[in-house]
Amino acid sequence: MKPPLETASPASEQTSASARRKIAAAREKALQNQGWQGTYALFIREVKRFMKIAGQSIVSPVLTTLLYFVVFGFSLGSRLQEIEGIPYIDFLVPGLMMLNLINNAFLNSSFSLFIAKIHGAIVDVLVTPLTPLQIIMAYVGASVVRAVVTGLIIWLVASLMGAGTVAYPLFTIVFMLLTAIGFALFGIIVAIYSETFDQINLLPSFFLMPLTFLGGVFYSISMLPPFWQAVSLANPILYMINGLRYGMTGVSDVSPWIGLGILTALVLLCGLHAWHLLHTGKKLRE
Amino acid sequence: MPNSVVAPTPTENFVGPVLTVQGLSKTYGKLQALHNVNLEIEPGEIFALLGVNGAGKTTMIECICGLQAHFEGQISVAGFDVRKEYARARQITGLVPQELNFDGFFRSLETVSSQGGYFGLRQPDQKARALMKRLSLEGKEKDNTRNLSGGMKRRLMIAKALMHDPALLFLDEPTAGVDVELRDDLWEYVRELRGNGTTIVLTTHYLEEAEKLADRIGIINRGRLLLVERRDHLMDKFGRKRVTLRTAQPLPKHLSRELRIYQWEEGQENEYHFHFRRDETEPTLPRLFELLGQYGVSITDVETRQSRLEDIFRELLQSDDETTS
Ligand SMILES: Nc1ncnc2c1ncn2[C@@H]1O[C@H](COP(=O)(O)OP(=O)(O)OP(=O)(O)O)[C@@H](O)[C@H]1O
Ligand SMILES: [Mg+2]
Repeated sequence: MKPPLETASPASEQTSASARRKIAAAREKALQNQGWQGTYALFIREVKRFMKIAGQSIVSPVLTTLLYFVVFGFSLGSRLQEIEGIPYIDFLVPGLMMLNLINNAFLNSSFSLFIAKIHGAIVDVLVTPLTPLQIIMAYVGASVVRAVVTGLIIWLVASLMGAGTVAYPLFTIVFMLLTAIGFALFGIIVAIYSETFDQINLLPSFFLMPLTFLGGVFYSISMLPPFWQAVSLANPILYMINGLRYGMTGVSDVSPWIGLGILTALVLLCGLHAWHLLHTGKKLRE
Repeated sequence: MPNSVVAPTPTENFVGPVLTVQGLSKTYGKLQALHNVNLEIEPGEIFALLGVNGAGKTTMIECICGLQAHFEGQISVAGFDVRKEYARARQITGLVPQELNFDGFFRSLETVSSQGGYFGLRQPDQKARALMKRLSLEGKEKDNTRNLSGGMKRRLMIAKALMHDPALLFLDEPTAGVDVELRDDLWEYVRELRGNGTTIVLTTHYLEEAEKLADRIGIINRGRLLLVERRDHLMDKFGRKRVTLRTAQPLPKHLSRELRIYQWEEGQENEYHFHFRRDETEPTLPRLFELLGQYGVSITDVETRQSRLEDIFRELLQSDDETTS
């Protein structure tokens, strides 16, 4: 005679049958992929995330940019009057917008992903059926919304303050989108590789910021001595700033198509690399 | 998503194991965390995976749930390979990870709802509320997840894992840090989930938990699955019962000879420990009392002690460590 176990409740025929039914139903559901609905949910989550810190993610970059606009536009503008044949404030707006696009797109995706990684919440995304492409699209989508919305606010306020910058609107919009997508993808890559906050801050402070400032946000490189002109031409961000300036004012130091080419290359290279990282699970699934 | 015109067929019962692990090996650099693990989980069971710290329990679960991309061997969930058909496998699987996590940007209800969203739920709020209520998190919906206590975070993670109603649920130390009352409630809930057709794999260091909940138990040691047994069989096969007798006088000499067939030893004065297999094969306890009666031994006290899963576990690990080292 066996001593009774207090809580013997082995899987009975009944529970086994209901489990088999449940698995069959779950299989059917799994076969109708819900991935795009899930992608949308992750995208919305990401938008909500930066909206929760709107003061920091939207208001602050707009204010900072407008401060630059006021300080440089009016102080230098009154002395410079015209540059490349257009009013200085018109010249300034695209540069400031590019500065803002790069920063917001990069910071949004890199910080969101990095913090999720550090606090472990990334696991919640990694166990879902979302594919690498879907995860990338959700993160990039939200970053683009943040970057482009702040960009448009700056554009609008600058226009209200008297800047006349709507030369080629379609070119401008495409350029803004490509910039935001490219740097959001770049942010994903950096977040995946980074292990400390220092590492993630490294690129924006020591690389993106200086290159942007030296890429002709405030001046035309034709104003520089020949040597520094040549050096400036090695800076890829120069082409992006000038491309956007072409779209908004029709004026550019270099061919805007080079900028478009560089951005397209950035989107493709970073896109492929980010996809590869997520696909192989490097740093995230190991 | 292709617009299929085929009418949905009535769901038939799924046949076969809900989880199949074949030849699973996993290394972290030089460390071999899993060695050739083979395991099948049957629909509707509660399976407990036991093992000391670092035995490889979490690693195994991570390989199944998509948190480890690189391993040797084959794993399939409900017939879907977890690497080749990961999206499908993950739609069926739910995981409550061992490591507590939080999302400082959101309120707890929002994180639970979002989790349902990622799995394709369109209106997840109501379900999220219901799950939080069931897990005794009512009133905490608006709290930032960062500010929940450890046990609350754990329960929030359970709510998240259940949003898409997984058919196969992994609970990696579900009651770590959960207080006694809520732990009982959680056990009750685990049984309830199983009653609804969810198959459950859990790990735990509370052997009482495995003993109370599990239908089958697997013991893993240094990356090897030492044994997988029905809990009842395990207790029968390895379980021991110790009967301690206290007598008025020492046992007579010639009786000792008759008692050779028993496994016994002397304790303190006039105290004797007899060991029996839990399934009570020969020689039996009644036979012992008969013998003692024949020799006129008067018994002053009887005490019995059953070995529990804990003892079995310790013994098995000890013998494994002896044989492998
Ligand atoms: N990401 C990792 N990188 C390197 N080694 C790891 C990693 N994760 C686990 N290990 C190692 O693999 C072994 C198994 O760890 P695992 O977390 O699977 O154990 P466990 O059985 O879950 O233990 P515990 O009861 O403590 O949770 C341990 O030696 C651990 O140090
Ligand atoms: Mg573990």
